[in-house]
Amino acid sequence: MLQQVVRALRKQDGVDDWLVRHILKTSTQYYVIGLQPENRRKVNTEQVVVTVMNDHAPAKGGEGRMRGEAEVTLLPTDLQHLPQKLSQAVFMATLTDNPPYDLAGAVEYPEVGLADPEMQAAPRQVAERLVQQLTEALTEERDVRLSSAEVFVEQSQVAIQNSRGVRGDKVETEMLLDFVLLASGQEDEMESHIAVKRRRAADLDVPALARRQAQYACDAIAASTPRTGTFPVVVSDNALVELLMSEGYSPLILRSSARLKYQRMTTWDIGESIFPGESSGDPVIMYSNALLPFGTRSSSFDGEGLPGQRTLIIDNGVLSRFWARQRYAQYLQVPATGSFGNMEIAAGSVPFASLLDDGPLYHIVAFSAMSPDPITGDFVGEIRLGYEIDKGQTRPIRGGSISGNLFAALAMARLSQETIFLGDYRGPRGMCFPEVTVAGA
Amino acid sequence: MDWNRLPPELGEASEGLSTLVTAMETRVPYAAALLTRNSGLQIGVNHREQQVTEIRPSQGLVLTAWNGTYFEEAATAALTKKHMFDLAREFASTVDMSPSSEAIDPGPPLKQHFATACDQDPTLLSAKNKLDFCLELHSKAKELDPRIVNVQVRYRETQESKAFANRTKQLSQNVLRLRLVVQIFVSDGKQLRYNWMTKDGTGGLELVQFTDQELRELCDTAVALLSAEKVPPGMYDVICTPEISGVIAHEAFGHGVELDMFLKDRARSEQYLGKLIASPLVSIVDAPSYPGGHGSYFFDDEGQLASPTCIIRDGVFERGLSDLFSAHSLRMPRSANGRRESFERKIYARMSNTFFAPGEPPVPSMIESVERGVYLKKVSSGMEDPKGWGMQVTSHYGEEIRDGKLTGRLFAPVGITGYVPDILQSVSAVGDDFALSGGTCGKGHKEWAPVSDGGPHLKLKARLG
Repeated sequence: MLQQVVRALRKQDGVDDWLVRHILKTSTQYYVIGLQPENRRKVNTEQVVVTVMNDHAPAKGGEGRMRGEAEVTLLPTDLQHLPQKLSQAVFMATLTDNPPYDLAGAVEYPEVGLADPEMQAAPRQVAERLVQQLTEALTEERDVRLSSAEVFVEQSQVAIQNSRGVRGDKVETEMLLDFVLLASGQEDEMESHIAVKRRRAADLDVPALARRQAQYACDAIAASTPRTGTFPVVVSDNALVELLMSEGYSPLILRSSARLKYQRMTTWDIGESIFPGESSGDPVIMYSNALLPFGTRSSSFDGEGLPGQRTLIIDNGVLSRFWARQRYAQYLQVPATGSFGNMEIAAGSVPFASLLDDGPLYHIVAFSAMSPDPITGDFVGEIRLGYEIDKGQTRPIRGGSISGNLFAALAMARLSQETIFLGDYRGPRGMCFPEVTVAGA
Repeated sequence: MDWNRLPPELGEASEGLSTLVTAMETRVPYAAALLTRNSGLQIGVNHREQQVTEIRPSQGLVLTAWNGTYFEEAATAALTKKHMFDLAREFASTVDMSPSSEAIDPGPPLKQHFATACDQDPTLLSAKNKLDFCLELHSKAKELDPRIVNVQVRYRETQESKAFANRTKQLSQNVLRLRLVVQIFVSDGKQLRYNWMTKDGTGGLELVQFTDQELRELCDTAVALLSAEKVPPGMYDVICTPEISGVIAHEAFGHGVELDMFLKDRARSEQYLGKLIASPLVSIVDAPSYPGGHGSYFFDDEGQLASPTCIIRDGVFERGLSDLFSAHSLRMPRSANGRRESFERKIYARMSNTFFAPGEPPVPSMIESVERGVYLKKVSSGMEDPKGWGMQVTSHYGEEIRDGKLTGRLFAPVGITGYVPDILQSVSAVGDDFALSGGTCGKGHKEWAPVSDGGPHLKLKARLG
């Protein structure tokens, strides 16, 4: 399918540059309610995503050439209409006027661990084993049971070519384990919910995860509302990743993007502090790392054919470099780094246990949802589960919210020495933010 | 596009659906087939870039087989007749048949095609016409204030076509969803703030028109947000716009009455079925058949015809929203809420257009009744908690109310939390207005589906922070 499309593109009028990605995907899905299967699914898809560039005179007149681009996706049934689909793409590309830019050129791609041979060979068995590990681990947990689980085991084969000589192939695997546990108390029942992604099944310790989530569900039964005021707040593990990564809409990632800089939607500049005021916490050092073995955002090449890289973005609280796709790198005259990879943050100075030493403080382990504003960095999140630590006593809390500004909070943060790997994040297990507003009882 | 028939990409494949069902039912007690195609156009314009491109299409077939206990499915993007038939035979032969064989009711016979009605059909205009429309809107907005650093205009036109067959039904539908967003970014040199307005629904271009007054208010609020403060945490009397009311209906209550949550023991609402759960002023409805709603459709992904479900009537929780499996397993009435993100994903019980029913008092009188409180205006996010019944909604901003008057003092952002029954029982006034806002809803953190929510203004008590 790929070569047929490439041949057609070479003949197509109005195509000044092109980029093609051929994606073959298989997905094995297994759903369980309690101990019973709810659904099993197997899905196969194939598509070719074509981007065409057309260079033309500006619509408003004047000197020079402008570039327009448009994307069309070809499904297997579209091949019989290939010339029409490509003409449609060219027509759309002729409509828009953007400053010219070049496509990525041919380079050698790095070797990165992206695929789990077991998930490739026996996806159904992997899915069933993950659920079995989960249910076996729960047999040791009193008063805790599995509400539901969903497992996706997926494989993607991606081939890329462009008109400037880029050629690449990669095979990736990814699994999603999403489960809910229920804990029963004397009068009440509460749940804990988690969804985790990994490229390798071996990177997930299901029994340990089940035990931790079981503890969270039990603690939620006894939890009460936190107090209102300003407190030190420690955020750790998955909750910390949610605060920093925000499901791809992280203020840290967006504010350091060349695209947003070009569009004047970030006030950050290279060589300047990312913090709104003085920094008094541990140094914040952040990399975009697409080379992290089996990271879920790792890649030997990105969607434009740029090679995966590990790039220093923030160095001791100062913006070191914008991460940039080819087009915006050229617009801003900065190096092209490719798409943002996994978030890697350097370890801090404090043992994790010490972050929790000095009460009174709150330790948050789960938010209902935490999506800091991608532009301002302001955040508000309901506490799904946390702990109040005061004078050596720990009591679970839930309800109420914490609020603040991510950049102001990071300026004062103390980072744990211990690091964790959670799929798309490698960095401190916990961070302590000394002054966070808590809205509670 | 000819709305009276399925697009040519699906036309031929849809003719063979009943044959696939027959082939599968030689082995399984119930089978169904669903063809889906999503496609469309998106346009983006901002100060420095323009884009016109296709929405990445999704097209495929889902074969569903009941094994006596649960459903198994096979899905493919290859839609040749031979491949579809071979897949149906092979799939049916591999279904794990259960010793129990409970029957699934295929419903009454029906053969019908449905299509969205629209006054100004955008598919009759060229992409250039639509780009010009966006460029004109951008051009108007960017001149509104010198502090504007960027204006984004995003237009999205999605054609969603489906064909469903089981042994009694042959249904097809074409649904057209439109969405137009104008987002204004302003800066005072130190900080950056923004505001946005969205117009959306199922229908034609008549849904997505902006007035000059709306653009002016949008810009003025973005500028005012440069001096917004943090809300002092605490309990407040709150007036919610329909947008905020809607997200309370959707996130706080709606997700917890999706009946697959009952099957999983994840819904606290189960204990309140038939009982008073909210103020008697409160009624909540889910209506996939609501004309023009962003979450509207004619039949769900299991062939159930769309009709409204009254979830809460006068404060009493009446019934939940179901997909076929949850309704069958729980022996509860079926509603047309079995929806999937695409052919690549399974069915869940999902909301469509979910809203509070309007009441009587005019909105100005509701604001006048607040001595000290906050007028919450725009949603930025929300998340469900059906078991714990904690509510999280984040408002992009709110405005202070003092002695019954809006003071112009803005708070941003504002987190709204509380225990859902407390919040619903605290509703002390339901306005006489009504509006829906569209969006995309996830189940947890995935499974995205187009929805809308809304209703009238509400007066209630909530914890803000």
